Amino acid sequence: MSSQGPDDKTACIEAVIGRYERPLMRYAARITGDLERARDIVQDTFLRFLSAGGPREDDRLGPWLFAVCRNRALDVLRKERRMSRLSEAQSDAQASGEPGPPVIAERREVLGSVMAALAELSEGQQEVIRLKFQNGFSYRQIAEITGLSVGNVGFLIHTALNAIRRKLRASPGSTGAG
Amino acid sequence: MRLKEDDPRLTAYALGELDEAEAAAIETELAHNAPARRRVEEIRRIASQLRVGLAAEPAGELSREQRRAIAAAARVPGRPKASRPASSRKAARPRILRRWAPLAAAAVILIAAGAVVLPTLRRPTELARRVVPLARQKATGAPPLDMPGQTGEGFNTEAYDHIVENPFLPVKDNPLSTFSIDVDTASYANVRRFLNSGRLPPPGAVRIEEMINYFSYDYAPPRDGRPFAVHVDVAGCPWAPGHRLVRIGLKGREIALDKRPATNLVFLLDVSGSMRPPNKLPLLKRAMKMLVERLGENDRVAIVVYAGASGLVLPSTTCDKKETILEALDRLAAGGSTNGGAGIQLAYNIASANFIKGGINRVILCTDGDFNVGVTNRSELVRLIEKKARTGVFLSVLGFGMGNYKDSTLEKLADKGNGNYAYIDTISEARKVLIKQMAGTLITIAKDVKIQVEFNPARVARYRLIGYENRLLRKEDFNDDTKDAGEIGAGHTVTALYEIVPVGAEPASRPEVDPLKYQRPGQLSEAASSGELLTVKLRYKLPDGDKSTLMTRPIVDRGMKFAEAPQDFRFAAAVAAFGMILRDSKYKGNYSLEAVAELAAASVGRDPHGYRAEFVKLVKTARSLKTGQ
Repeated sequence: MSSQGPDDKTACIEAVIGRYERPLMRYAARITGDLERARDIVQDTFLRFLSAGGPREDDRLGPWLFAVCRNRALDVLRKERRMSRLSEAQSDAQASGEPGPPVIAERREVLGSVMAALAELSEGQQEVIRLKFQNGFSYRQIAEITGLSVGNVGFLIHTALNAIRRKLRASPGSTGAG
Repeated sequence: MRLKEDDPRLTAYALGELDEAEAAAIETELAHNAPARRRVEEIRRIASQLRVGLAAEPAGELSREQRRAIAAAARVPGRPKASRPASSRKAARPRILRRWAPLAAAAVILIAAGAVVLPTLRRPTELARRVVPLARQKATGAPPLDMPGQTGEGFNTEAYDHIVENPFLPVKDNPLSTFSIDVDTASYANVRRFLNSGRLPPPGAVRIEEMINYFSYDYAPPRDGRPFAVHVDVAGCPWAPGHRLVRIGLKGREIALDKRPATNLVFLLDVSGSMRPPNKLPLLKRAMKMLVERLGENDRVAIVVYAGASGLVLPSTTCDKKETILEALDRLAAGGSTNGGAGIQLAYNIASANFIKGGINRVILCTDGDFNVGVTNRSELVRLIEKKARTGVFLSVLGFGMGNYKDSTLEKLADKGNGNYAYIDTISEARKVLIKQMAGTLITIAKDVKIQVEFNPARVARYRLIGYENRLLRKEDFNDDTKDAGEIGAGHTVTALYEIVPVGAEPASRPEVDPLKYQRPGQLSEAASSGELLTVKLRYKLPDGDKSTLMTRPIVDRGMKFAEAPQDFRFAAAVAAFGMILRDSKYKGNYSLEAVAELAAASVGRDPHGYRAEFVKLVKTARSLKTGQ
């Protein structure tokens, strides 16, 4: 980074923000349960990317940013000794969700029950599920972000998917789960 | 390879997480394994539903000012620190970098060894225990789940199993309630840690039975030569007027420390990098020294460590050579990643090699639970622990530290090893577990202790067991001596509470199911009119026995009011109510933390070590956290 001119750097950070602003905001908001705090944390994350010279390769950059964001968010939580209000974050998510073209009712119902089953999982399971399916990270990348072992990540995702599968089977009308 | 549908490798395969060789191996297997094939399809279907559903979750954006500030920082030439204080940069960076290199290496090793993910710990008995409450709930039409994720809890990587609270069960359909005793206390120390750090614990971390059993109660020890005494009391229920509270109290025979049989201990210590903080390895060393100080010439101690490589730090040494042991403890330092599997193997080998017949033979595993079993298969590890328990080498697990702490893993390991499990966060907790309760921690006086309560439908309409959610047994398991259960140590007390709805206490106006047309429900026996409320049955085995002994105790409700109940009874009720409020139980009624604090403060009684006073303080802390939100 240090050999770069300011113009390169501006272009670079713009690209990074364009790619990661919203995913990081979503991640930080879920941890803190607070949009304002999430903004501060994500801003800090990008500033740290600039000052510390984060990796450029996309497969390392994502985990790096998420790990910084996560540590920062947990620090904020710890420092302020503040409970995260996940229930609020969740109801917000459900209330304003589903943009885009209308989907057929049945599909929405299937998705609704998958999301409801997800909401019942532990925080840790929800986190790895979101890292995996919302952000597309691999087990190894999730391990880098969370500090868990790769085996633990795999195990968490496996048990989480299993729990969702069982809940879908138990709830009537969830034809999508077979 | 014969893949089970539940194999985590199938999940990893379905999600494209395996390398080519491993994926090819799975595919070969899938070609002739239809259930596994269907499972892969199912996982992929759920995965794609999750991707679509999660993509629709809203995401916020930075403010314009924030974007401008970042752009300005980017324009500063060189290495702009700008507004970033150097100290905060230092705090976050090394933590990440340190973690990366070993993890990448670990991933490669794991994949090469074909153990990308840890196979599940749960065996059929474990599963049966956990499946029962759900099945029962369905039968009674109770709401299926409370939702831990919805209660506004914080966020961390600590792994807690979701607990489904035992519902009220109608006696007509469920006359028997069966569970295994549990002397674990770790949940209380863990809850205390959360509260003292200014956060309410996640509901899954609150195990009410472990909170109740953290405290010892003044039950009389057995006088009839049995390993433990049983005390049953019935009184009013503080949070539900009209309901009755039944307390079942067990008290293990006391064994004086100097009458203690010879001891063969193997410390299996986690010295991986994650153990470096002062509340982990340094605390562990102090705790272990305290224990060694109190052992004698008939006792032996060996030390095995595990990290990147496991190794024998101290061969089995008699405790008249205390200095040698203490020096070995002093030399321990944290570093490397964890390989618990090989370490456990080694520890058990040493324990077996120095086995003392008629003595105490025990492996004491101390860890923060960030358990990397490496190439060792997790279920193999559990099998090893179970096999060794049958030969008389038991396992105690002491959990240390915070953050990385995998509560449920540790409990399960101890469970399989006929052992107990405690969480140590301070030196005074170490003293409590290792010194004050050493006899109990080390000496098992009865094992596979199961309790079955039969309720009299003439007296009891509905009941619920408070806590013990993951200790429930099927009613058939009670008489089945091959089904293992909890152990009780010398001097230990175990307490279980039932909340009972007496017949006639609530209007009978809402039949849950229509009466059957073709059958009549079972007739009451003569004993139903005896006036007895319930009968408590216990089964236990002696530590070296494999046939169980039955104890039976019929109980009559004498109508005692809660205010007249023994002090210990009231205190246990306060702890239960505290747990229910922390778990946001739907049975807590209008009971408040104020009421809990008041009740606990009034029933502290003789409290020589200050544990109960500390509890009162914790309740007040929780109250201020709740109201401060």
